[in-house]
Amino acid sequence: MAKIIVVTSGKGGVGKTTSAAAIATGLALRGKKTAVIDFDVGLRNLDLIMGCERRVVYDLVNVIQGEAGLNQALIRDKRVDNLHILPASQTRDKDALTQEGVEKVLDTLGKDFDFIICDSPAGIERGAQLAMYYADEAIVVTNPEVSSVRDSDRILGLLASKTRRAERGDDAIREHLLITRYNPSRVDLGDMLNLDDIREILAIDLLGLIPESEAVLRASNQGVPVTHDDSSDAGQAYADTVARLLGEEVPLRFHEYQKKGLLSRMFGGARR
Amino acid sequence: MSLNVDRDRMAFTFKGGMLPMTVMELTSADPERIREQLAGKLSQSPAFFQHTPVVLNVEKLDEPHLALERICAVCRAHKLLPVAVRGGPDPVKQSAWALGLGWFPPQEASRPRPLESVADDAPLAEEFEPDEPAEASPEASAEALPGPTVGGRIYRGTVRSGQQVTAPEGDLVVVGAVNAGAEVLAAGNVHVYGALRGRALAGIHGDVKAGIFCRELHAELLSVAGNYKRLEDIDPRLLGTTVQVQLFDGQLSITSLD
Repeated sequence: MAKIIVVTSGKGGVGKTTSAAAIATGLALRGKKTAVIDFDVGLRNLDLIMGCERRVVYDLVNVIQGEAGLNQALIRDKRVDNLHILPASQTRDKDALTQEGVEKVLDTLGKDFDFIICDSPAGIERGAQLAMYYADEAIVVTNPEVSSVRDSDRILGLLASKTRRAERGDDAIREHLLITRYNPSRVDLGDMLNLDDIREILAIDLLGLIPESEAVLRASNQGVPVTHDDSSDAGQAYADTVARLLGEEVPLRFHEYQKKGLLSRMFGGARR
Repeated sequence: MSLNVDRDRMAFTFKGGMLPMTVMELTSADPERIREQLAGKLSQSPAFFQHTPVVLNVEKLDEPHLALERICAVCRAHKLLPVAVRGGPDPVKQSAWALGLGWFPPQEASRPRPLESVADDAPLAEEFEPDEPAEASPEASAEALPGPTVGGRIYRGTVRSGQQVTAPEGDLVVVGAVNAGAEVLAAGNVHVYGALRGRALAGIHGDVKAGIFCRELHAELLSVAGNYKRLEDIDPRLLGTTVQVQLFDGQLSITSLD
């Protein structure tokens, strides 16, 4: 059976879809057969980030309502063989999803895939709860700012109570923290929360830290998940994240401000 | 327009209010048994029976018809003043109205969602006993306010934003942090062995001797028996330190334990 991983955050705009796309791509690049599902019905974005928006015919809602088969709706990624995308519907709303329907889709996919990544919508309502309900693991995407941390905290509470594992009393969902848009120099200046503060408040394992990077925006607009850009800091950070997800020990990078050379320290001393 | 009625000419204004109310939870519909028990209570703590208004809760009775008139008469004979009935089927509701009593829906139907504020919490109001009689008679007080260790609760882990952990009886011990947006409540003391960033309410049934203890104070709100302080009211020098919070002369006092 596939491992079902939900990528969630509570707050919008923190990088859920970017991370879901990057992690799914990373897993596929590592040879794992991976499906990534967009649960944000009505605000479909994953197809754009994955660069397959022109190939969408059927979507998750069509499959759940029996209007199309799962294989008709799954889009095979052009760049990586093992990667498939199941887009959300743009014209319906989240009420079109049913719990039984989602379960059936996940069960069917589970037989063929190693990993299923569920890209959750923002918020804590039905769409987000359905995305997390059947998950085995959760990646909680958090920005280094107080509102994002609080919303992540809220989501962690829901993961511990409103999921199938919680309701059945099975082993708890494994919760991972993924910090995105981390800017070490702004952390040093006190503009952003630092890594240790976030870890202390949320009290879960750190899976990865993605630095704030121009590569992310560029990747999104080009429809190429940033993991493919292995020369960029964000691409490498996502590759590290995927490695940790697969159980490898990888040291943390990009969390410290890169000290400049002697000259720039002498002349750039006004920074503080 | 009638909206701007001259205030001097107004005969009344409607106001919402939460008053302490004694609820008499009937487990027998037999007026004779009620009379016997009341007579016993009256001799124990006469101070309690001074035309005290009571709500008769009949939810636990499974009888379509009640001798409501006789029960009320027994109560009045013992200086209890029935003002309303809670629960019971339609005939009970009708006879309550006929007797000039109010009728409240049963607890299940009117119970607020768990995340609503403490003050609205139906079970708390139910268990509330007025302070006066409790002080007048040590026996009654022992019955009304269970000792601090009775029925306490230990919670291990982080209490997260949006979560509420309650110890309706006794103390609450949290082995972990209480994050911003979370709420911990106890009838007795609240102990937090971690950072307290959310709200902590001790003595929610009115126990003025209850206290709050935490390893690292960043609380949004601290309250003991309804006397509260917001984060803004807390001396900033105490933030981040280990403290105890207690009530002195009706004032919430926060002292460092470092």
